[in-house]
Amino acid sequence: MTPPDSAQFPPRQGDSDPLRAGIRGESYAAVVARGLSQRVPTADGSLAILSEVELAVQAGETLAITGASGSGKSTLLGLLAGLDQPSAGEIVLLGERLGELDEDARARLRAGRIGFVFQSFQLLPALSALENILLPLELTGRADARERAAHWLDRVGLAARAGHTPRQLSGGEQQRVAIARAFATDPEIVFADEPTGNLDADTGARIIELLFELNASAGTTLILVTHDDALAGRCQRRLHLVAGRAHEAVPA
Amino acid sequence: MSILRKGRGAAAGLRQDRPKGECQAAYPLRAHPPAHLSRVLRLGLWLLRRERSSGEWRVLLLALLIGVGSVSTTGFLGDRIKRAMSEQGAGFLGADLVVTSPRPIESWPAHALRTSRALEFASMASRGDAFQLATVRAVDAAYPLRGVVRIAERPFEPGSPRPAQPPPGSVYVDQELLALLDAGVGDAVQIGEAQFAIAGVVAEEPGQLGGVFGLAPRVFLRADEVEKTRVLQPGSRLTYLYQFAGEPEETSAFAAALKPVLDNTQRLVGSREGVETLRGAFANADRYLQLTALISLLLSVAAIAIAAHRHALRHYDQAALLRCLGATTTQLRMLYAVQLLTLGLLGSFAGVAIGALMQQALAGLILPDAATRLPALGPAPVGAAVASGLLALAGASLPALLRLVRVPPLRVLRRDLPPLPVGASLSAAVTGSALLGLVAWYAGDATLVAVFVGALAALAGVLALLARLALLVGGAVQRMAHGPLRFGLAQLLRHRFDSTLQLGAFTLALFLVALLALVRSDLVAGWREQLPPDAPNYFLVNIAPHQQEAVAAYLAQHRLQASALYPMVRGRLVSKNGTPIAETLPEASRDSNTLRRELNLTWTTALPANNVVLAGQWHGERRAAEISVESGMAERLGLAVGDELGFQVGDQTLAARITSVRSVKWDSMQPNFFVIFAPGQLDALPASSIASVHVPPDATGVLPGFVKTFPGITLLALDKLIANIEAVFAQIIGAIQLLLGFLLAAGMAVVVATLLASLDARRQEAVLLRTLGAQRAYLARGLWSEFLALGLLAGLLASACAEIAMALIGDRLFELPVRPHPWLWLVLPAAGALLVGMSGWLTTRHITRVPPMQSLRELA
Repeated sequence: MTPPDSAQFPPRQGDSDPLRAGIRGESYAAVVARGLSQRVPTADGSLAILSEVELAVQAGETLAITGASGSGKSTLLGLLAGLDQPSAGEIVLLGERLGELDEDARARLRAGRIGFVFQSFQLLPALSALENILLPLELTGRADARERAAHWLDRVGLAARAGHTPRQLSGGEQQRVAIARAFATDPEIVFADEPTGNLDADTGARIIELLFELNASAGTTLILVTHDDALAGRCQRRLHLVAGRAHEAVPA
Repeated sequence: MSILRKGRGAAAGLRQDRPKGECQAAYPLRAHPPAHLSRVLRLGLWLLRRERSSGEWRVLLLALLIGVGSVSTTGFLGDRIKRAMSEQGAGFLGADLVVTSPRPIESWPAHALRTSRALEFASMASRGDAFQLATVRAVDAAYPLRGVVRIAERPFEPGSPRPAQPPPGSVYVDQELLALLDAGVGDAVQIGEAQFAIAGVVAEEPGQLGGVFGLAPRVFLRADEVEKTRVLQPGSRLTYLYQFAGEPEETSAFAAALKPVLDNTQRLVGSREGVETLRGAFANADRYLQLTALISLLLSVAAIAIAAHRHALRHYDQAALLRCLGATTTQLRMLYAVQLLTLGLLGSFAGVAIGALMQQALAGLILPDAATRLPALGPAPVGAAVASGLLALAGASLPALLRLVRVPPLRVLRRDLPPLPVGASLSAAVTGSALLGLVAWYAGDATLVAVFVGALAALAGVLALLARLALLVGGAVQRMAHGPLRFGLAQLLRHRFDSTLQLGAFTLALFLVALLALVRSDLVAGWREQLPPDAPNYFLVNIAPHQQEAVAAYLAQHRLQASALYPMVRGRLVSKNGTPIAETLPEASRDSNTLRRELNLTWTTALPANNVVLAGQWHGERRAAEISVESGMAERLGLAVGDELGFQVGDQTLAARITSVRSVKWDSMQPNFFVIFAPGQLDALPASSIASVHVPPDATGVLPGFVKTFPGITLLALDKLIANIEAVFAQIIGAIQLLLGFLLAAGMAVVVATLLASLDARRQEAVLLRTLGAQRAYLARGLWSEFLALGLLAGLLASACAEIAMALIGDRLFELPVRPHPWLWLVLPAAGALLVGMSGWLTTRHITRVPPMQSLRELA
């Protein structure tokens, strides 16, 4: 599973444990988007969802993508994470030009290096809390998968609920499991799509705390979509979308 | 915690060692070790295990279980019934295989079969002044290997089963011989130079009814006492009979090895040819069993396909999440494939176990005497059942699986995104070839495969069209209806695609069950018709010309119904249009029995009852060198109207032109002939006549008197043959009824799978409606009207399809007359409404009971 153009990159050194970006002042762009547009065909011709978005997120940065409903936030997130392909423009994710990768190569790129937190949690209903965290670890073939999963469940304060299925957990608890799942593989980027969208204000606030605390201690790049100002305010930068155009990128 | 901290430290350490500026533009490489295949497989099994309680796999497993269960029960039972039937045939023959030869055969292909040897020759038997030519069969202690020989103390007694080998110094003889020699049991009879005591009367022997008319009466002698008679001289006409019995596989292997070794004076007869009369019944039963196995399999394939579709639908989210987490399509494919394989093996083996248990119980019920002798199930049928389960599962669920693998990862953000379509031709090819493979495997017979595949393809098209039409009609009804009925019908119409699918599936299930039920009752009725209660039960053979009038008078006096008298001359077919007949045939058909043995030739002016002229014109009163030939013989030997055939009768040669080809009902118990001459051709030849007669059970007392009055006439009892045929029919009918039960279960599986497939959508709607204020009773009545309407429609469509199909296959496949089935049009819609209504209600009833809040949470 070597990346297609690995020759251009420095060879891996020592053991396989990854090199981490953004440490000791060296700065890498975790995600770069140039001239990003997304159009979808509709009955009345094609509709522009995103137009000419330019973006660069450095490794270790936190970025909030904000905007009204339908402004293209989630579409942008999906494109940046390599879940979809843009109509025009270019994305470089973790040093790879996504346009040059096929679907499977993009999946390989995501494996273990990118974590996700969703508005609707996306936990598998048949699996327990612990097993849901275990899933990406098993998929990436970690030898210490079980210990890691238990460790992360403990970090989000749910060690006592390891055997419970999502149905037996509250919304807040489910989202904590999802956050643990996102960080469990020690990813370089975590994408979060409206992580507090399905939660009440109090629970949402606690989830934000947890997310940022874990993010700070892991030094992960965090890109989140939200229309919650409080949440956006916690990020270093903010990209505001209006009708598919990136209007401002203000430092928080 | 410590793991992570350590990991990060090591990472930082490595970063320090790296020369600066080396990868300004690029991003530092980091990849996890690849997920090995074994890991993906483990993950698949793990997910499968975790989901077993979620019930999503249960439908699939259940469908597979029913499918393989019914296929293996059908297969195992069918196998056993076939064996039981071939045992019956063997009983008629006295063995599974018989080789006859004019010379002893010293070397045989290697085999582990039981054997028996007999020697048959003609010899005079005498007592005092009376003498009579007898057919002596010198047998060993093992004779007969199959079937029974019954020996009675007095003529016309049923006797008791005994070995055919008489005690030393004695013989068993036919009752006619007693009459002809005016002897009784205990008297002595001279054969050649030796005297033997008559130790009993042969009441029944295998092979008695194999169409061997005109043979001299039977004498059973010990093989080790042949020497004593000194009748065997060099040049004597002898027949060596070698009999074999054993496992079907072994006997057929032995027969295959034997065929090339035999020369054209030697003949190999299998148990299937034990008696011509049973041939039609064998063929029909065989076909029927094949058909049933095939249909229950197809129904379970349909159930599996529907269940697999639902399973895929419910796993789109899972697949999308896995892809989002970095699983490649190959990994997903492996993951779902291993799940499917595990499930397939599990379901297939469990199904085989069910099949084995069922057939054990049922074989004992249907074939009490055969079940004890039948060997355990071999690995072959088990392997076949498991393989067909896997093939069915793969064929039915691969299209759904392929779709599952093509779920876009973006679905994690936008749940409405459907998977990318899989090429329709690809899915069709996958399912189609799997189905075709299964059909070919089970049907074996090319006609059956062609008829079935064609019929199913046509059926699918017609059903889709009819279902659409029916729904249109439903729409008209709906506009006139009100209340829950209106709601129920509206539901039906709203989900037009689902409804078409469900209607199609129900119709298919009902149609196939109805079809088999019809074929069954028509088969049974057909057989009953072929064997009317006053069917002749005795043949009178060897009636001399001068006895004809006296015999007719005797029968009339005792009010016995007899067929016409047919004069009989034995002759051999030697040429066609001046060419030796063998040369006109392809190599493979040259050893046809019709050529080897002497034919019974007759002449008559009236076309015999049960004969139908298929080509040409019946000669009637015309006194010309014309003949009528039986259609099967014409087909085997490539004969047609206009051909001139040459016959060798004694030392004379006769030529005659074929002017008609007739079909003959061989199982009509009437004297039947391959070749019938026009009058005036054979009259000059010495001939004896044959007739059949029906002797009612209360009139058997007439028989000893008849034998005494006409000592030269052979009386051949057909009672036992008829009883045996009826026993075989009873077994077949029992088996068929049972297999229909399984078919019904498979049909129900389709119905339940279809309903379960629509359960999620239904639940969602029900919850919504209840939230909006619909009462439970209203919803329940709505569901009932929907299912009743669906079942009713399906029943009507199925009736129409069944009638058409019966008209087509009854005629072609089973040679049964076409007849309408009015009751079908009542029973099927009623059964459909009831079945679909019940199973629909049972499957969906809880959706009206779940509190809306709980459902809304689950659906969220």
